[in-house]
Amino acid sequence: MKLSKLAILAVVGLMIWPAFAAPVILNRNLGTEPPTADPALGEDTTSIEIIEQMFLGLVDMDEVTMAPIPELAARWEVSADGLTWTFFMRKDVYWVKYDAKAGQVVYDLDEGGQKRPVTGNDVVYGVKRTLSPETGSNYAYVLYIIDGALEANEGTGALDDVGVGLLPIKNEKGETVGYDQYAVQFKLIAPAGYFGQIASMWVARPQPQWAIAKHGDAWIEPENIVTNGSYVMKTWVHNDNLVFVRNPYIPAALWGGGNIDEVHCVTIVEDSTEFAMYLNNELDTIDGPPLPEMDRIKTDPVLSKQLNIRPQPCTYYYGFVTTKPPMDNPDVRKALSMTIDRKTIVEQVTKGGQIPANTFAGGTIFGNAALSPEIAPWAIGVAGWDYDKAVTAAQQLLAGAGYPDGAGLEIILMHNVSEGHARIAQAIQAMWTKAFPKAKFIIETQEWGTYLKTITKETPIENVPHVYRLGWCQDYPDQNNWVHEVLNPTLGENKPRLSANDPYVGAAIARFDAVTTQAGRLSDPVERAKLYFEAEKLLIDEIVAIAPIYYYSYNIMNKPWMTRKWHDTPHWDTWSIDMALKAKG
Amino acid sequence: MIQYLVRRLLWAIPVLLAIMVVTFFLARAIPGGPFDFRGDKQIPETIRKNLERKYGLDLPLHQQLGRWIWDAIRFDFGPSYASRSQTVTDILKRTFPISFQLGVLALLFALCIGIPMGTIAAVKQNTIVDYGATFAAILGVSMPTMVTGPLLMWVFALILGWLPAARWGTDYTQLYLGFFPNLLSGKFWLHAILPSLTLGLAYSASIARLTRASLLQVIREDYIRTAYAKGLPGRRTVILHGLRNSLIPVATVLGPMFAGIVTGSMIVEQIFGIAGMGKYFVTSVTNRDYPMIMGAVLLYSVLLVGANLLVDVSYAWLDPRIRYD
Repeated sequence: MKLSKLAILAVVGLMIWPAFAAPVILNRNLGTEPPTADPALGEDTTSIEIIEQMFLGLVDMDEVTMAPIPELAARWEVSADGLTWTFFMRKDVYWVKYDAKAGQVVYDLDEGGQKRPVTGNDVVYGVKRTLSPETGSNYAYVLYIIDGALEANEGTGALDDVGVGLLPIKNEKGETVGYDQYAVQFKLIAPAGYFGQIASMWVARPQPQWAIAKHGDAWIEPENIVTNGSYVMKTWVHNDNLVFVRNPYIPAALWGGGNIDEVHCVTIVEDSTEFAMYLNNELDTIDGPPLPEMDRIKTDPVLSKQLNIRPQPCTYYYGFVTTKPPMDNPDVRKALSMTIDRKTIVEQVTKGGQIPANTFAGGTIFGNAALSPEIAPWAIGVAGWDYDKAVTAAQQLLAGAGYPDGAGLEIILMHNVSEGHARIAQAIQAMWTKAFPKAKFIIETQEWGTYLKTITKETPIENVPHVYRLGWCQDYPDQNNWVHEVLNPTLGENKPRLSANDPYVGAAIARFDAVTTQAGRLSDPVERAKLYFEAEKLLIDEIVAIAPIYYYSYNIMNKPWMTRKWHDTPHWDTWSIDMALKAKG
Repeated sequence: MIQYLVRRLLWAIPVLLAIMVVTFFLARAIPGGPFDFRGDKQIPETIRKNLERKYGLDLPLHQQLGRWIWDAIRFDFGPSYASRSQTVTDILKRTFPISFQLGVLALLFALCIGIPMGTIAAVKQNTIVDYGATFAAILGVSMPTMVTGPLLMWVFALILGWLPAARWGTDYTQLYLGFFPNLLSGKFWLHAILPSLTLGLAYSASIARLTRASLLQVIREDYIRTAYAKGLPGRRTVILHGLRNSLIPVATVLGPMFAGIVTGSMIVEQIFGIAGMGKYFVTSVTNRDYPMIMGAVLLYSVLLVGANLLVDVSYAWLDPRIRYD
């Protein structure tokens, strides 16, 4: 008898043990009050961060390659013409909510008391709600690749005509006999290999129609919100704090492997206050310590170990107007690009942990070639290059182009009015003048709105500068949003005025045009990445349409007990805290 | 007295109505509307029109004004355009008590520091004590809260470790009567000290200077000389007879000062991460968030009218010669 009593005791003990184990709590600062938690309306990093935790997408993105990987959709098929994408969803994900009275996460039940699974209908509703003019979503345009989406969003077409719906089930005669509740089909207006990335975006996520119908705009308040992701909103005291608790009902396969049970977020705006709280162990991790503290952090033996510099999907670059002499000669463009000392700029001028760039798209974009030694190695000082060697090579290039020591060269560099841009422009002007003492480099500035108009390809050539400055931040993490939409000669913004008729590098430009267009239409990630690599090499090394200067960066600090993984948007379910280490302080 | 109060309160009604009308037109006179831009991207024409229709901004102005006044009388200011899931009333109800608590504590700090400092400076006029106090007061006026705040935080939270670095120590959703914090909670006081002190210091300096100037005038009056002649001790004379009279100008500025502290605490609230209403006063204008502008201005006006009334009543206590007829 004694043994069975012990066994009972052991079983009971094991059952109540988790109740006594303290929850693992992550203390996080969002940096500002999230403007919304509505997937249809999110457009800023803060809102998107909390939406990411609460709502699953059809697909997620691989944290390294940025290629789509299964999430709600277990698999997907693309038709041969690339116009029809069908996502087959898993059937074990349910809508949940936080029950304040019971103090726990519960299933959201329908009128019949049944659990509500996340179905294709929720995806179709979500996409259509984002596109509805009534919703006023500002990110609706990324869905315009879907048939009828543009018209519906502008109000000239009907939402019912948008190319998204459940997959019809056909009988032997080819007649539709019903619809697969767990398969969503998208019809596109053009083949788009990057549609996987679009399908992963928050604006295309399932949304709970019944909750939105019942509560209107207030459906995202904690007492109303219904979600399906890794974490569930428990409280949201606007402008002060939000508490999220782990969703116990999410399938194990969709959990990222972290150990955090609760996330307590504050919304501190001041970065010096955030840093003080971090030093006081009131926060486990912060994004962006104050810039004036950076020098101290880097030299402090303890703090420097906690600092992580991660790329941000934005690039700062100088563009060359390739039709304005003497910039029509690619050797001149290349010489100027080579004599920008990117290392000095990020270390002495911007100082924010930026990374010298040798490509247009940075390291978090699908299909990027960032920091590859095969592309413009002189820009990042690899493969035997350093700045002195680059200057010598550039001087030879310019002499060969007919401008020894820069004699006879007069270049106008323009940027929009801003102290930061001015400092960078002055530094680069000094570098160029030192490398080519006989050339003249003139800096001009314009107010932002005027400047944007000046540098478009429609402005008469005598009014545009030789060199313009710009930055680009992703709308979605795919090269299509970069080399194609920004620089493609026929379909992109094409501010450098690239043309296949270029007497020097026309062939390379034609190839660049073909490669970026084709890569957008393919669906094989390996093939696409190869094409984008070629596009970057053509763009930076041969055509030299732009001189990438640096990739923006996040400066992240983690306490020693904190382990964080990296996605373009934070995934809390992949983070971990070593509680024993934290208890020691 | 009662009659006076009633008369003043009745007068407040047309004043508030006038403020509402003027604010309505001023808010709409600022170029741009609430739905023109999100960040630096322009909102498409069709979407903007849809939103404007949704929030009644397509109606003729006089209809909008009528609706706004009618709703405001019933304390319904509508949803905030910048944070569409909340109404302006929700926001004010949640943030006003916090700013009010911070404001009262800051004012207490300001008075507790300012009045004694001003008094000592006046009594020891033209001595090293006076110069020291005056110097401190000028320093206090000229040091912005965005310097004193982080400075105090650095010393008391990071170096000494005595106080928490930031945030307000109450659960925002559990206030007594929806307004008062738990005064017995140590957490509340520990969190309250730094922000209230930061905010209070800035105001204590001007109170000190005003007290000093006013007291200097009063202690030269005949009745003070009489008090000394009667043989009253110096301290008693100054504090009981002199100070009380000299506080009338101080009380006069306290009314508007209090309304200003409660609504103008944006910087301190931002530095210490306190969810008060200061932020909304500034962002509502930059966002062209009309309902929020109207709600905030109306609240400020009510506060100002109320504080001034309180000040007027306090005159009678400070100087019994003052009568209300």
